[in-house]
Amino acid sequence: MAITRRRFLTRSGLFAAGSVLAPSLFAHPLVRSAFAETIGDRYFISLYLDGGNDGLGTVAPIANGSSGALRAAYEQARRSGAGGLRLSPSELLGTPSGGPDMVDASSGTPIGLHPGLAGLHRLYAQGKVALIQGCGYPDYTLSHEESRAAWETGLPLQKTLPGGWLGRYLAANYGGSDIPGVNIRSSLAGEFRQSTTSVLTFDNVRDFGFPYDWNFGSDRDEKRTALLALAEDAAASAQGTLGHVGTSLRATLLSSESYPTLHDLYEADRASFDVAYDGLGTSVADDLREMAKVIYGVTTGQPNVAARFFQATNGGYDTHSDQGAGEADGQHTRLHHEIGDAIELFYQDCEDMGVADKICILVWSEFSRRVEQNDNGTDHGSQGPAFVIGGSVDGGVYGNHPDIRDASLNDDGNTRYSQAAGDPFRSTDLRDVYGTILTKWLNMPQGQVLSSILPPDTGDPAERWTAPNFDLGFL
Amino acid sequence: MGDESTVLTAADARHLLRRTGFGAPAKDVQKILQRGDTRGSAADRLLGFKPGAFQPAGKDLRLRQNSWLKYMIGTKSPLQEKLVLFWHDHFSTAASKVGDVKQLATQNRLLRQNCKGNFRTLLREINRDPAMMEFLDTVRNRKYVPNENYGRELCELFALGVKDANGNPNYVQDDVVQLARAFTGWRIDRDKSYFDERNHDFEEDYPERGPKVVFTQTGGFGAVGRSFTTAGEGAQEIDTVVDILLAHRDSDGRSTVARRIARRLLEFFAHGAFAESTPETTAVVDAVIAASGFDSSWELQPLLRAILVSDAFYATAAAAPYGATTAKSVKWPVDFVVTTMRTVGLKPKGRETYVDGGSRRSLRSHLAAMGQQLFDPPSVFGWEWERSWITSATTLARARFARDVIMARGTGGTSFRPEKLIDLSLTAPDAILDAVTDALGISDQVTTQQRTILIDYLTDAGTRPSLDLEDEDTRNRKLHGLFGLLLQSPAYQLH
Repeated sequence: MAITRRRFLTRSGLFAAGSVLAPSLFAHPLVRSAFAETIGDRYFISLYLDGGNDGLGTVAPIANGSSGALRAAYEQARRSGAGGLRLSPSELLGTPSGGPDMVDASSGTPIGLHPGLAGLHRLYAQGKVALIQGCGYPDYTLSHEESRAAWETGLPLQKTLPGGWLGRYLAANYGGSDIPGVNIRSSLAGEFRQSTTSVLTFDNVRDFGFPYDWNFGSDRDEKRTALLALAEDAAASAQGTLGHVGTSLRATLLSSESYPTLHDLYEADRASFDVAYDGLGTSVADDLREMAKVIYGVTTGQPNVAARFFQATNGGYDTHSDQGAGEADGQHTRLHHEIGDAIELFYQDCEDMGVADKICILVWSEFSRRVEQNDNGTDHGSQGPAFVIGGSVDGGVYGNHPDIRDASLNDDGNTRYSQAAGDPFRSTDLRDVYGTILTKWLNMPQGQVLSSILPPDTGDPAERWTAPNFDLGFL
Repeated sequence: MGDESTVLTAADARHLLRRTGFGAPAKDVQKILQRGDTRGSAADRLLGFKPGAFQPAGKDLRLRQNSWLKYMIGTKSPLQEKLVLFWHDHFSTAASKVGDVKQLATQNRLLRQNCKGNFRTLLREINRDPAMMEFLDTVRNRKYVPNENYGRELCELFALGVKDANGNPNYVQDDVVQLARAFTGWRIDRDKSYFDERNHDFEEDYPERGPKVVFTQTGGFGAVGRSFTTAGEGAQEIDTVVDILLAHRDSDGRSTVARRIARRLLEFFAHGAFAESTPETTAVVDAVIAASGFDSSWELQPLLRAILVSDAFYATAAAAPYGATTAKSVKWPVDFVVTTMRTVGLKPKGRETYVDGGSRRSLRSHLAAMGQQLFDPPSVFGWEWERSWITSATTLARARFARDVIMARGTGGTSFRPEKLIDLSLTAPDAILDAVTDALGISDQVTTQQRTILIDYLTDAGTRPSLDLEDEDTRNRKLHGLFGLLLQSPAYQLH
């Protein structure tokens, strides 16, 4: 088994010595090589579409194909006309010339992206996007919170392990003095939850400086010393909540001394991209730019900047009403543009930094929406598409289209989760998506993933996740 | 262990004041001790307020947030505002979707007037509250295709919860669909809700949907469930739904709604661990319900009293240093801000309601950075409590607010003036520290080790054995600095 970074540090004695984050720690060549055993010089980004993104309004059948009659089923469920959500075959962005096919292989159905996802489609044409169809989990829930928790924890049936799926990975590989992750938001993302190592949360790097009383600058070092000591004291408390507050204060204080410089650095060195993000003018574009600033800091060797894991959220997907079809000013069109355009620009930014092959972006949502639309929107549903984007991604369509034919739906009007062998509509369990990322991108051995991150279900193998497949093929 | 006749200690009194109000200033603690208050008499005194009719004013969201914050800073009934905050979180309604801030202000008054009243009344009122109807799509709930949004959250969040105390589901998807039918036809006109029967799903019009029946699989109603059809009088269906929800039983026969509300109030006033259904937490939940009769009267005041005299509430009063099993809670951002303003006697300045120092941000802007915008919770689930309040972003925001407070150099009440809080003739570092922690109402929360760190700060690591606080520079540097460090310290974030 590969020596994890944390184990390496413990073994070499650096772990104890590093209880205070010293700038020299990350510059240590042995630490750098220990790093390479895990995510190495790569980056992972989780991008959450909050509210339940409508899968059929994201990827839709263009024609019936060789079997399944999915376009007919789609047209039955999604009306045209006022309030209708139907996307016409000519609107949908299908197989690009020179790019990977856009076909649901098992039913032979040509499929296409919503026109709002034009930016993502251009990346798809370059072979940088994996579209993973029918992602979900057994016994799905229609509650936002419960379903989001299923995705965040990777434990849809029983919460047998603490924290989020990435959080458990981080806890196994990093220590209390490390800061391996950054969430571009004001609260910690569920998938990052754990209590072993530090994940920074901020809206932007520039404002991440520690606030001192500037009228008494001469007293600043004394204040810093006292505050750091108070943080250390609390971090060592046996009482968990106080310990959490102390750990957070310590990590915040120390990293607040390095991260803000990344803003000016990026602005000075990467002005054209900086302006391009401004041009998009969306919060998700802003968030991805903050990640780019940190990545630029890492690639240029800034002290105390070593984050490899990122998270951002785009909200507004709970489209119970006024969802819109493909019209330019439609609600869902706007949401798709926000994501597709920002990811395209971020990818180009990374390409220009020479790290396009080092990034892997997972785009996910807690559930898809009801197959049959309501008056002019959609209610909560089950399995939906996810996207994985990056220079090392093997672009194309993975997994099977969910069976949206009316007779196949369950009593709630949603598509069914299936793991039945040979089922042409077999679902993609979210844990196979995570497992592929954990083993192929984060280099965690499959056995360790199964024992400490994603324990398999028990029960009926046709309806439960009992046969993990961590080689979906997109990485 | 104790009961309602147990006399409060100083630590108990501080705890009670912190949890039921905003901070525990020394004079309020002294009053309780001088009166010899018991758990029961103190709870009765706190709960004795007459609910006010205050409604945040102003033409936009910003001004209404400011208005409520100023009211909280000045109020003589802090428990009332704590309860309004609780219900605001419970019946989460967000300005991000409800464009009309007047509706949110109206809801705020509704929550205040019913904050300790009858829960049946409160739930009925929320059903037809314009802001809620807008937020969860009741106004877009059409008879042709009922919109499930409100019906689902009524089950999942407002009344039942997803699972009962024994881990069994409280409702199934069909119940959500059925409840959605009851709410068809409710609309808003000029900020008032009304029933439009042309838009209502009358059972006879939709025979293919079957009878309007809920809870055929859960709730203890048997396989027949409960019908909420009121022939020809569809407007009453949403009240009937409330009655049915209140009759819903857990699989062990106990009231589902009483347990959920009692559990949430315990979570709020005692500790976040009550969010989890365990045999231990459920026993406490059942005990406060039994002591108050809440599951039949639905009166909130007796339930609140039962919680505020319970051992579960006082078990979280422990003084520092805390043991591994001590339950401590993180102050909500609005609690952190309002407590600080009240305790140090600082007034926000101007219409923008800002702290007149440092970054000169408005209180609402400080709070947004700490993760709590009044009238705009992040989702229908309200805010995430306890440790979720504390991240690196919110840690900085809290530190920035504390820094701004000690830098406030405005005129009159908008200036931070520690000389009004402690005696400037003190010179001994430990006496100064005692006076400051007492003024902040946290003397039981600071450990010996933390005191050593702070005294090192005051004395520049022992090189300055006494301080002359009459000297302006020393005062502004070290005394203001000490207040700032305490407000930024991990200990102060808890209560």
